[in-house]
Amino acid sequence: MDIVVCVKHVPETAEAELKIDASGKGIEKSGLVFYINEWDDYALEEAVRIKEKFGGTVTAITVGAEDSDSTLRKCLARGADKAIRLTDPKFAGSDGYATAKILYSVIKNLHYDLVLTGMQAGDDGYAMVGPILAEMLGIPHTTMAKKIELEAGVAKVNRELEGGLEEQLEIKLPALISVQTGINEPCYVSIMGIRKAMQKEINVMTLADTGLSEADMGETGSWLKIEKLYVPPAEKQTEFLKGTPDEVAAKVAEILKARGFI
Amino acid sequence: MEFKLNEEQQEIKRAVREFCEKEFTPELALEYDQKEEFPMALYKKAAQLGFTSMRIPTEYGGQGYGVLEECIVVEEMCRVDPGLGVAVSLGNLMVPDVLLQHGSEEQRERYIPPLAKGEKIAAAAFTEPEHGSDITRMNTTAVKSGNEWIINGDKQFITNAPIADTFIILCQTDPNAQPPHRGQSLFLAEKGMQGLDATKLHGKMGIKPCVTGSLSLSDLRVPETNLVGELNKGFYYALELFDGTRITVAAQAVGMAQGAFEKALNYAKTRKQFGQPIINFQAVSFKLAEMAMKIEAARLMTYKAAWLYDKEKPNAMATSMAKAYASRVAMEVTDEAIQIFGGYGYLADYHVERFHRSAKITEIYEGTSEIQKLTIINFLQKQA
Amino acid sequence: MPEIFVLAEHRQGQIRDITYEMLTKAREIAEKANLMLTAVILGKEVKEKAKTLAEYAKKVLVVEDAKLENFNSDAYQKVLVNLMKEYKPTLTLIGHTSYGIELAPRLAAALNMPLATDCIDLALEGDTLTVTRQMYGGKVNVNATLRKAESYMVTVRQAAFTTQKPVTPLNGEIIEKPSLLTEEITTKRFIQYILPPPGGVDITAAEKLVGIGRGIKDQSNIPLIEDFAKTIGAVLACSRPIVDKGWLPNDRQVGSSGKTVKPKLYIALGISGAFQHVLGMKNSDLIIAINKDPNAPIFSFSDYGVVEDLFKIIPSLKNKIYELKGQKA
Repeated sequence: MDIVVCVKHVPETAEAELKIDASGKGIEKSGLVFYINEWDDYALEEAVRIKEKFGGTVTAITVGAEDSDSTLRKCLARGADKAIRLTDPKFAGSDGYATAKILYSVIKNLHYDLVLTGMQAGDDGYAMVGPILAEMLGIPHTTMAKKIELEAGVAKVNRELEGGLEEQLEIKLPALISVQTGINEPCYVSIMGIRKAMQKEINVMTLADTGLSEADMGETGSWLKIEKLYVPPAEKQTEFLKGTPDEVAAKVAEILKARGFI
Repeated sequence: MEFKLNEEQQEIKRAVREFCEKEFTPELALEYDQKEEFPMALYKKAAQLGFTSMRIPTEYGGQGYGVLEECIVVEEMCRVDPGLGVAVSLGNLMVPDVLLQHGSEEQRERYIPPLAKGEKIAAAAFTEPEHGSDITRMNTTAVKSGNEWIINGDKQFITNAPIADTFIILCQTDPNAQPPHRGQSLFLAEKGMQGLDATKLHGKMGIKPCVTGSLSLSDLRVPETNLVGELNKGFYYALELFDGTRITVAAQAVGMAQGAFEKALNYAKTRKQFGQPIINFQAVSFKLAEMAMKIEAARLMTYKAAWLYDKEKPNAMATSMAKAYASRVAMEVTDEAIQIFGGYGYLADYHVERFHRSAKITEIYEGTSEIQKLTIINFLQKQA
Repeated sequence: MPEIFVLAEHRQGQIRDITYEMLTKAREIAEKANLMLTAVILGKEVKEKAKTLAEYAKKVLVVEDAKLENFNSDAYQKVLVNLMKEYKPTLTLIGHTSYGIELAPRLAAALNMPLATDCIDLALEGDTLTVTRQMYGGKVNVNATLRKAESYMVTVRQAAFTTQKPVTPLNGEIIEKPSLLTEEITTKRFIQYILPPPGGVDITAAEKLVGIGRGIKDQSNIPLIEDFAKTIGAVLACSRPIVDKGWLPNDRQVGSSGKTVKPKLYIALGISGAFQHVLGMKNSDLIIAINKDPNAPIFSFSDYGVVEDLFKIIPSLKNKIYELKGQKA
């Protein structure tokens, strides 16, 4: 079972303070900590577990700058056998569509039984690379997987629907599956894993290796062009309660009392 | 000359940081600080990932790195929490080191792997109620009887004593030796042996999750095969151990300073007084700049001492300088961090006073700062 | 006349709300740009549903086929590629739902049609389509334009628009179209729905909820919050990461993939407020959020906000509540 897992190196923004940069089209990246996209972390874990069960190889692949190596190293340390980084200044500004084209140009030449991706990336939230890549590769796909069981020539997949409901599908292999968080419990990187990872190479490819033209990528090769970033307007006029923790707690208690909750 | 961790070391740093930031939560740290309890589950988890056996060779279940890599791990652990960091990183302290240097192959195979894997806990019993920094004479004695040694005495301030499975105990085996330290030997003992009693010590100032205790040894009989290395060489073995462990204490200090510094920096950026973040006031920002400078100097000294240990040979002067300096920096930086927090810093649940309380131990254990300075001056005089 | 397609979403015999939300927005765009508003529904026996859709659309395309009984993106794609090649809609709207995420990107790629996903607003001016979407978990809004094309596709976030019935039903013409599916789809096969395990607690029935998120840090902290919830008679609920980690069962999950709740009181503790969660609780009567991050999106949906470590507030709040109740803690 040869598996390709697509990963992305993204900034951790859940608890960070974001500032829109001078261009107005991006955020200031300095001071942010980058790590493997949360959904991809689950995809990686799933790939490694499948490999442990059925044998084969796991190849991690990313489109990103040199600093993405730390995410690829993490993949290698967690059990991936090979890593490919697609890096070229011309790739900058690519949306999900252009990114899928870049990934396709390399993955089409690899042997795989399964391609795994995260359901979406925490930065742009497109949720599109996987299905587009599947269309390009001409293989079946499914998304938002919460459970994957492999049988002869097929994968049985539970995918998440709304409201706690799931559906079970069967798709033919080779296939692409995008995974939802919670499908497994990702492991930590171990020292033993790092030692193994250091003996593996990260294969770096550029535009020239993809066979694509400049027009296929970046802003020109994308569907979407970002015009402006801004802080979302509040839906509600929030009243912020201020003071020491004790004072604030007292205020909250008063509100609860006034509204009849106590 | 390189002032950069190599890629592998950076990966190690990232891995241990991720683990600690997810597992050493401030609430858990506070809980264990208050309970004065060893975080066994965390220790086992860290051990399974290899974080507690950096310097143990792979053939004994360890990771086969050097002191520098161990320092990176210890620093990161203590950066996230001083108590949990020290406790977890010292779960198997000293016993593997001494056995690797001087133990028999049988002793190594028997005792090291379970310690490397986190299945067992180790304790090294040197200090006695009457002998702290001065271990040149031991009141604890070991007397040969047939093919056994009978050990009697008391040990004090022994890290892990109440929870340890494997002990090494420094004993006076030749009471008439002159000077007395030429008559000391190291013995292995195990939990459950008759005559070995541990009592937990309560009320330490800091590093409370790292449990400490006293040992009462009363007619403790160990087989003669439990003698480590040669008879009457124990003192020298102990000194050798300190060459390595003192560097990791410096790393603890650097980590604690760094952790407190980061908390203070964050706080200064968000805390507003007189209509602006307090970092805008030079009284605060200069403090932060000074803290950063001192930490950087302490870290460089620590890494240098570790590098010398790994690449050339243990350098007692570099080690003592690193330990004395880093531990002082830890005290100063954690103190200033509390100052920046103001009244809140004095409260436990702002998670900074714990760093200060814990930092103090780095000036005391594994040779007080005064002992380090003696070592330094000895070397300087020899050089002159 | 150029058209707007809105793909109706239905499951287990029910048309899903997103359909009407999209039809409402599409109506506004259609009126402005003078486009035909067309609803498209695929399924096994869906003619009755087409009648409901006809109240919202000028035209309803109905494709019936037993092979379309359950949603299958491969079958849908085959049918829609044909329909869209025939009608060449200027704009096609699909829900950014579990179905739309499965279908839209691949369909767009097959048709070489620019797609913007997860949009919370869109405007068509001339032949330029501008969309609003979010990045970084809802912390930033983005205005973006799509590459110039004859046809565009957009997936629309749930609850981004509020359904408004036309004052007078549009009485759209219902047109049946053949599926042109000649054989069973074998690449992907629906097996069954899997219902959530029956839980002991129905959070949708609770009047007061205390919701916990990532900020809770560790499973060992849950009893503290449970204890607090008890003091005000509230039930414990949570956001997705808590269920992902296995700290609470999924019947406690609030949000698009969990339950939608509308209690009288919702206290959000350490919840950042990703839209998936907000979707499930924003209509609560009173929302109080406690979060360390002043920029957490949850504060945009709250009546009262507290920017502080929840662990500093909760113990004290519990005591204050006891005081107000005249009890001892």
